[in-house]
Amino acid sequence: MRRLLIEVKPVIAKPFTGSVLVIDRYISFYGEVDVENSVYKPLNIHIANKVLVFKGSRGSTVGSYVIYGLSKRGGAPIAMIVKNLDPVLVSGCVLTDIPLLVAQNYDDLIKNLSQSSTSGLKATYRGGSYVEIEEQ
Amino acid sequence: MLSGEKGFIVAKMMELIVKMCEAYGCEKLVRVNHVHVSGVSYVNIGDYGLEFIKDIHSYRPRASVYTTTNPVCVDLTGLSRILSNEFIDKQLVINKYFEEMGFQPTYSCIPYYFRKPSVNEHLAWGESSAVIYANSVFGARTNREGAPLTIASSITGYTYFAGMHMDENRVVKISLNVDRDVEPELYGALGYWIGENIHETPIIKGIVENYSSIKIMLASAAATGDFALVVIDKITPKGSYRVSDYLEKISVGFKDIEENVFRGREEGYVLGYIGCPHLDPLEFRTLVEKFSNRRVKRECGFLVSIPYPFLSIFRSEIDFLRKRGVDVVAGTCPIVSKLTVKPDLVLTNSGKAFFYFKNIHGLNVRIASFETIIDNVTEK
Repeated sequence: MRRLLIEVKPVIAKPFTGSVLVIDRYISFYGEVDVENSVYKPLNIHIANKVLVFKGSRGSTVGSYVIYGLSKRGGAPIAMIVKNLDPVLVSGCVLTDIPLLVAQNYDDLIKNLSQSSTSGLKATYRGGSYVEIEEQ
Repeated sequence: MLSGEKGFIVAKMMELIVKMCEAYGCEKLVRVNHVHVSGVSYVNIGDYGLEFIKDIHSYRPRASVYTTTNPVCVDLTGLSRILSNEFIDKQLVINKYFEEMGFQPTYSCIPYYFRKPSVNEHLAWGESSAVIYANSVFGARTNREGAPLTIASSITGYTYFAGMHMDENRVVKISLNVDRDVEPELYGALGYWIGENIHETPIIKGIVENYSSIKIMLASAAATGDFALVVIDKITPKGSYRVSDYLEKISVGFKDIEENVFRGREEGYVLGYIGCPHLDPLEFRTLVEKFSNRRVKRECGFLVSIPYPFLSIFRSEIDFLRKRGVDVVAGTCPIVSKLTVKPDLVLTNSGKAFFYFKNIHGLNVRIASFETIIDNVTEK
């Protein structure tokens, strides 16, 4: 994969660029994320300053406050690209100004990304309906 | 408001509601008359929630509509031996911030006893048990909102017009007949069963018009399912819901719900618990009458949770119950607090409390009628 354009529906449309991290799961921010260390505990993986691609959030509505806590400590993802929206994500991202985009073809995106080493991918969003993903 | 003429925080809170509206494809906002703020307990929201409330409070916003508050994580009488007061300092900071923002210190999950909603009135309420009661008993309109959104609605006076606010989402698809062998005293077990087994909005027939029992049933259904509305035949106001052309018919009897119901007697430390949702005035008076010739057994505990404002209304009755060994806690409940005891068995009349005692506290718990609980934890 050299370059991929993915169609998105922006919820919080702020431009960004950063390394892609795929966690193809629903994340319960309350319980599964260690705020002090910015770690997604089930996979022991750092989520700070990454463009986080994941299915969406689940679990307690306190999750919004966890996103807020991550952001205040400088440990939040740069942006979130998800399959499904829910109130926890929308609240958390509005309160912190974290860009939030819904991937129109999330499953295709995951298929494409799984064929590459995601650690070497960079996502760029300049506004509008597309995110550009390319090898770094 | 969005452009900031009413200040940064009002604009930010408005943005939250507008974004939620856009995310759900809705076209307008709607004014609300009463907001019930959830996420008040420090045990639930933790340091990050406290940080958020502190930051919001620093802009000195005020509630623009009548706003009530959900229970906190400590007993506000300060006398409980069963609930922990470990986080009292942090909790009192949250309370102070909210009260300075103009929120009413009800600290209760039954806000409808402080202001009765009217039919088709738009509300923005957190707390699933209160939401389902507002929609199902009063025919009002509210979604199950998260804590930040309730704060945003209080400050702006608006919510987004989606979900339960719209007629097309208040449609009955199942007819559930409740057999006569399900007594109102066991509606907690009935509600638990409904939440686990029914996945579309039902109309429930055969329910006895006992609002205390209905309160417990609805809270239990909302805890085990994701219901915001359960239509109750002859109780839910007509015009607040629609009925689908085709109704799937289901019935439920005692044999379906008995699995979680207590039978027989138990040795060891038994903790009785009532007040989930918080006791209403009628339940409270019944409790006081029951204790005219009883007291809690030395080897048992009896926990009762009531709204904070009851402290000033029923001062002498609360003192009387305490002298009889009842652990009366105000403005809190064991769902949003921590226990200091580890009972061998908990008996409760609430399916919601049953669900959380089992899943959060990991306790052995059974559902029992009010009378059965009294029989097991008290003596004459």
